[in-house]
Amino acid sequence: MSPYGTAGGGRSSNYEYVIARVRSRRASLFDTDDYRKLVRMGTSEIARFMEETEYETEMNALGARYSGSDLIEYALNRNLAKHFDDLLRWAEGALYSYIARYLRKFDAWNSKTVIRGIYSGAESSEIEDDLIRAGEFGEKRIDTLVTAGSIEEVVESLDDTIFGESLAEAYEVYEAEEVLVPLENAIDRAFYETLLDGLPSNPERDSPTGLYVQFLQAEVDFRNLRNALRLARSGAETDPTEYYIRGGKLFDEQSLGQLTANFDGLVAAVRDSRYGDDLDAALSALEDAQNLVEFERALDTALLEYADKLSTRYPLSVCPVLSFVLAKEQEVDNIRAIARGREAGLGPDEIEQELVIL
Amino acid sequence: MIETIAPVVNAALQNVAPAIPPSAAAALAVGLAALGSGYAERGIGAAAVGAVAEDDSMFGRGLILTVLPETLVILALVVVFVV
Repeated sequence: MSPYGTAGGGRSSNYEYVIARVRSRRASLFDTDDYRKLVRMGTSEIARFMEETEYETEMNALGARYSGSDLIEYALNRNLAKHFDDLLRWAEGALYSYIARYLRKFDAWNSKTVIRGIYSGAESSEIEDDLIRAGEFGEKRIDTLVTAGSIEEVVESLDDTIFGESLAEAYEVYEAEEVLVPLENAIDRAFYETLLDGLPSNPERDSPTGLYVQFLQAEVDFRNLRNALRLARSGAETDPTEYYIRGGKLFDEQSLGQLTANFDGLVAAVRDSRYGDDLDAALSALEDAQNLVEFERALDTALLEYADKLSTRYPLSVCPVLSFVLAKEQEVDNIRAIARGREAGLGPDEIEQELVIL
Repeated sequence: MIETIAPVVNAALQNVAPAIPPSAAAALAVGLAALGSGYAERGIGAAAVGAVAEDDSMFGRGLILTVLPETLVILALVVVFVV
């Protein structure tokens, strides 16, 4: 039997090939020096800087149609989609399904964008520009989505995807109340719950699958934590269990409900959990300053560091790919933040506060 | 029963040539070593092609790393001269 495990059409995974390419691309992402230069540039300078890097093709393709921070944003999205499509193109067997499972995030994003676009009456070409074609949806499905005339059509065309069932339920609520929240929640929930579906819940801790499952659990935990903190801080009357995502290790449905009512208790619970060490500094900052933005940034950094740690601990597994995916997403977020921040006239120091840099 | 087998086995061991003669065993050793290095090169080759696809300047290094397990076969070849 092959040590790499087989799945997905019986082909074995080609970890060596994918990881060699991914590591090379991970290394060519922007580093701290590049960011330091970028935060001091104006939007057009950032655009020119990007033309000389990785993003050359996208900048040239879109340069005629857009300008300023829109150009940067669309180029970033396109480049992200290109990289993640490449990952799916290269990967075979079990590795493919591991990657696709995570990249469905973009299917969720695209579905939400289309629904929001139709709700707000945007042109289909505008919606199309905002899509990130990185997920599992093919060209054909995206085309049907974009040309759909009503939200009902969108829900119907997503019928055979992972979002189908929960969307259909949420659509009834939407029809009654005319707000988008139930639809968006349904999509997010479907994504996070299929994330851990079908994976062993307690695999060997040090096997690649074990690490992958741990990583996804961390992602779900952090998402729950973020929701809980936001609810606790805003003091909204919403029932926190309504937004609870199953699959994490940090909370169960009941403890989340109790802790959200009590902010200090929530922080203490996180400090005692298995993420306590990684988040220690951030938690102290949170207690002192009561600053959620800072803490969410610390969560992002912690997740990124965790993924990097996993990728060196188990080089021939899905972990390096995940670490690349996270780092790339973060780079895109950072550059977007810089471009938008400069456009809004923020100073370099203020923008640097917002960036997540390892 | 066992007492009757023992002398027969003894006689057989003394008279018959080994099942695998020395030169055949040496050939087998080389063959198995080649199989092993082939398997090792599979992974390295895949990674090397990946690296070259990202960066052309990795070609030389990739080539060297890919054929590195070939030393196994060369070492196994020594067995042929020893026998």
